[in-house]
Amino acid sequence: MEDIRKYNEGELVSMLQNEDAKAFSYLYDNYSAAIYGVIYKMVENKELAEDILQEAFIKFWNNFKNYDPLKGRLFTWMLNIARNLTIDTLRSKDYKKQHKIYGNENSVNELSDKSRGIDQFDSLGIRKHLTYLKNDQKQIIDLAYFSGLTQDEISKELSIPLGTVKTRMRAAILELRKLLEYR
Amino acid sequence: MNSNDIISSGLLELYASGLSSPEESIQVQQWIKDFPEVKAELLAIEQVLETYAMVNGVIPPAEVKDKILQKIGFSTADKTNTGIPALQSELSSSKIYRIPVYFKLAAAACLVLLVGSLLLNYNFYHKYQNASSDLQLAQNRLNQQKELTAGMNKDMTVMTDKYALPVVLNGTPHAPDALAKIYWMKNTGEIYIDPTNLPQVPSGKQYQLWAIINGKPVDAGMISTQHGVFHIQKMKTFGKAEAFAITMEKEGGSPTPTMEEMYVIAKI
Repeated sequence: MEDIRKYNEGELVSMLQNEDAKAFSYLYDNYSAAIYGVIYKMVENKELAEDILQEAFIKFWNNFKNYDPLKGRLFTWMLNIARNLTIDTLRSKDYKKQHKIYGNENSVNELSDKSRGIDQFDSLGIRKHLTYLKNDQKQIIDLAYFSGLTQDEISKELSIPLGTVKTRMRAAILELRKLLEYR
Repeated sequence: MNSNDIISSGLLELYASGLSSPEESIQVQQWIKDFPEVKAELLAIEQVLETYAMVNGVIPPAEVKDKILQKIGFSTADKTNTGIPALQSELSSSKIYRIPVYFKLAAAACLVLLVGSLLLNYNFYHKYQNASSDLQLAQNRLNQQKELTAGMNKDMTVMTDKYALPVVLNGTPHAPDALAKIYWMKNTGEIYIDPTNLPQVPSGKQYQLWAIINGKPVDAGMISTQHGVFHIQKMKTFGKAEAFAITMEKEGGSPTPTMEEMYVIAKI
């Protein structure tokens, strides 16, 4: 957090692929909260979430060579690794996800309250805009991002056809983009 | 499928959320290679989801970072300096070889003491040598004194012996100032001569004592006047004698006295 230097993503990636410790420290300081937030919401257990976060960052460190910028952003790559680790852990620990639906009471806003001090973002401003997001749009984004469910499971969860998951995701994210552009 | 169809399909959103199947993912990766506008759309979606995750982030406990850095081989101690582990190790290694200041001071003090000690050694050795030669001189002098004293004691013993018969040999016309004394021990017949008042002998010459027995001179021994020391000395032993005389002879003595070189004589 004390590191005020900013790297653009290309710089950061090439430093990480050269096993630059400073870049790794920077990466952790800037992305651990976002990744921990996702893991924490998936497992709802502090100690387990910490263990998975550790495991995830070690896995990032050991696999930066495998990251291909042509296939997407670094954060997407990291989050996919972290999410897959979490899903594996939940399965191996028999933490089978029991029809967990993020309803109004544990939606984005409530989850947001748990986040603290993400200074590099205008959290309050963004959150204010996020309140304009329709409930069903929040719901599908949260399910996609914070549940670890598959498309299939989401369609069942929401009782909508499989094809509709794509279109609703698109609509929700488009709305989110619009809201964030206004900030 | 054209790029607009791809973009509006919603598959990019699923891919960005990690929800696409392996087949769909391969398809999306192909599209973003083929269509720059598809790639731009994907990056925009990823960006917004990233922001969403950031906003909903939860800061993990600080010790998690330490544990991670430890596990991948960076020391927890320099977590704020993980960027320069090489410099860190250089610093610590130079620390190992650095000599502490008190060590340097101690070494300097040792050097000063050593130089001082050498000077004192030289000084003392010099004094010791002087003292040693002084002592030698003093001992020589003492020994000389002792010899002198011993000689005088011996002289005294001879002179004060109750059986000693002193005989004074007076100077002849050849040497009117010469004088010698004989102490003749009546009990043993031993003869001691005191040549103190005889004139100096030239080199190569020596005084010889003669005893006149039945009118004939008999050799009574050579008188040692070496080193200029004229001490009472023991000569040959005679039971009887009519007279004693001292002549100057060649070194080592002569079988018969040289009458012209007679210095002193005494009749008993």
